[in-house]
Amino acid sequence: MNALIEQMVVNGILAGLVYVIMALGFTLVFGIMRVVNFAHGELYMVSGYVMLSLYGQHQMNYYLAVVCAVLFTAMLGAVLEKLLFQRFAGDELGGMIISLALAIILQAGALILFGPDEQSMPRPVSGVWHVHEAVLSLDRGFVAIWAVVALAAFWLFIKRTRLGLAMQAVAQDRVTAGLMGIQSKRVSLIAFSIGSALAALAGALMAPIYTVSPYMGELPLLKAFVVVILGGLGSIPGAMLGGLLIGMTESVFATLFDSTVALIASFVIVLVVIVVRPRGLLGKAVR
Amino acid sequence: MKKIIFAVVVLAVAGVPLAIGGKYALHVGSMIAITATLALSMNLMLRIGQVSMAQGAFMGMGAYSSALLTMKLDWSPMVAMLASAVVVGMLAVALGFVFLRIKGVFFVLLTYAFAQIVNLSIQEASTWTGGNNGLYGIPKLAILGFRMVEPSAFYLCALAVAVLAWAVVHSVFRSRIGAILDSIEQDEGLSRALGTNALRWRVAVFGLSAVLASLAGSLFAHHLNFLSPANFTFLQNVDLLIMNIVGGVSSPTGAVLGALILVPLPELLRDAKQYELLIYGGILLGSLLFLRDGLVGRLGRLSFARRAVQTMREAGHGAA
Amino acid sequence: MALLEVDGVGRRFGGVQAVADVTFALQPGEVFGVIGPNGAGKTTLFNLIAGLFEPSSGRVVLDGTDITGWPSDSVARLGIGRTFQGVHTFKGVTVRENLQRAALLAHSFDPLRHFGNLMRRRSSVDVAVCEDVARFVGLHDRLEETAAGLSYGLKKLLGIGMALMQQPRLLLMDEPAAGLNPTEKRRLGEVIRDIRQMRCIDVMLVEHDMKLIMETCDRILVMNQGRPIALGDPTQVRSDPAVIDAYLGVDYDFA
Repeated sequence: MNALIEQMVVNGILAGLVYVIMALGFTLVFGIMRVVNFAHGELYMVSGYVMLSLYGQHQMNYYLAVVCAVLFTAMLGAVLEKLLFQRFAGDELGGMIISLALAIILQAGALILFGPDEQSMPRPVSGVWHVHEAVLSLDRGFVAIWAVVALAAFWLFIKRTRLGLAMQAVAQDRVTAGLMGIQSKRVSLIAFSIGSALAALAGALMAPIYTVSPYMGELPLLKAFVVVILGGLGSIPGAMLGGLLIGMTESVFATLFDSTVALIASFVIVLVVIVVRPRGLLGKAVR
Repeated sequence: MKKIIFAVVVLAVAGVPLAIGGKYALHVGSMIAITATLALSMNLMLRIGQVSMAQGAFMGMGAYSSALLTMKLDWSPMVAMLASAVVVGMLAVALGFVFLRIKGVFFVLLTYAFAQIVNLSIQEASTWTGGNNGLYGIPKLAILGFRMVEPSAFYLCALAVAVLAWAVVHSVFRSRIGAILDSIEQDEGLSRALGTNALRWRVAVFGLSAVLASLAGSLFAHHLNFLSPANFTFLQNVDLLIMNIVGGVSSPTGAVLGALILVPLPELLRDAKQYELLIYGGILLGSLLFLRDGLVGRLGRLSFARRAVQTMREAGHGAA
Repeated sequence: MALLEVDGVGRRFGGVQAVADVTFALQPGEVFGVIGPNGAGKTTLFNLIAGLFEPSSGRVVLDGTDITGWPSDSVARLGIGRTFQGVHTFKGVTVRENLQRAALLAHSFDPLRHFGNLMRRRSSVDVAVCEDVARFVGLHDRLEETAAGLSYGLKKLLGIGMALMQQPRLLLMDEPAAGLNPTEKRRLGEVIRDIRQMRCIDVMLVEHDMKLIMETCDRILVMNQGRPIALGDPTQVRSDPAVIDAYLGVDYDFA
């Protein structure tokens, strides 16, 4: 029995860490731009395909490939922000629908360019590691380490750099931040780029572990969405807490029932949170 | 005079599938009629300023309910269809009292979560619904024992439902109810100060839209004789949104027009099916960037800045 | 019996006590004013009675019915109408349509019950009532104009007209004189008196304009820092030391 619980916990943490990365990008964009970015999952997918191309097909060094995938997607994000999202600054619903359109186009693009089939690439590491009575596959553990490093870097950025503090200011009160000389346009651009980069990181890391397909971004988007609602739209600590909680909840439900039930449970949580406490666990008061 | 021209055009367009004849043309015609009913369902919600992702879920509920009632309990399809619509409507009203307190982006997310729960539950309850493999062998539609084996008979049925749906939405918005709904959407604080229970009215509209969606779903089930959860996803809901944007939100005719334009599209693009998605996305993007009035103009009233100002006012100038 | 009884009403917002211990009774046929320096809690009190939020303590009773904590639409249906500080009208439609809508909304509380009835086309609301109210507030010659095109002062009058279409027993007015020029203010004062006299509707107004208050009100409640400090007719209030004290340093002409 103990082994089962330990395994659930380990699985939960591993999944949770990736969810946190996805959720952070999502919540950052919402917190600063007030946009629910439905295209977040497709950016994950784009990064996955870059990995497939560079690492899977052209045998580029794994670490270099990850960095390239992240940079490429971040730049793509910056371009999209400048061209599309900036027009809808302040318009929550409009921004959300634009992201919907974008998501559809990106997925359609992938379908046309690469076809609907799943493709795979070699794993960066293989083997397993025994943690107490639980089994941890090394490649997932590897991803977990990357995730923790990225989280630490992100935290330092937000709390210690001028830009990070500027972002917090804009997230809290756009108007006042503007009065203090912070250019929200620039901050939005950078926020969206970082958000894209985070999605890209998750995508690049997970691509070798599963497979790459035009639909691969749908589930991570769902998860990010669930985590962020639970943790609080716009709250960074919320995304971290929410990610681990959801990772854990899903692990339990998936082990006891099946993954579909786990997903249902997640959405029920979302429903309840929106109705009872829209600001989530750690978010700011809404409306 | 305008009305006569309108009626003539409608009759002419409606007659096209019958004129062309053949199973395929009537199939496309039926799908347009069914989708038009759904687009009208979405139109109702958009008119009161709420983007609802639940319409697909209501369609699915109507479809599976009607299918199972006819298959397992041997009910007449007509009765099953109507009964399902009533039940789905009542469920929508019950849920509506909870859901419709929420507005804007959160309402979208809420209905999105709801739709996912419905879809996933259908997948999970595979012993009843066939799950992801689908539900086969749904009987054809029948009115008073007369089975609609002929495609033309079904087409007329679907058309009748679509016309009825249009008429309902049209008259609701032309009537005093429309004035009330417009008032609530334009300035809720004022409407409430004048004595209107805004929530109840929104719930009523939500319920009506669910009834329409359910009817469309039932028709869908009895037409294709096969259902799967893949027919009722988020993407279908986005399609309905696109139809309304393209056709114009401010009138039910716009919704029908949107369906008329978009439904045949995949049929025409048979060979290049993957371009269908791209075109839909492109249309949505294009409409948002260039057709700023209409949907986005309407939704723009719910934008952050406006809402913030309205909230501040209503919170009673605490310090005064 | 008093039309409106406010008994020990108070309201906290987080750590701040915005309003405390407010007690008064509105008799039928009164114009009642609420004044006080900024931050006195007047608007909070106003919104408590109007149903925008619940009081943390105390009771509000309208003509024998306890309406404490009732939301604005329930309170409106029972007979309390209100006007807003900034003007709220339905901008895109005509003055006539605005007034018709007001009447319609006042009787539209239950969708089910009215569905059959309401499916009639829009224009059949009682035309005579509409014109009567328009004449009363002075907008009779502008019935077909769009509300958005009216001047601020006229919009205010339209707002009052709309509240009257509700046929309230008590009309709450939130700083009605704000933004009006002297001519418009005089007109407003006349309208308020007419509402009381000709229409037999009580008026309760929150105001900063002393002249308007002194000239139109029968009784005045003075608040300061959330609490009532004086209650009486204009003469009494004018000479009350506590009131003068509260306004010390501010250039108010009580004369």
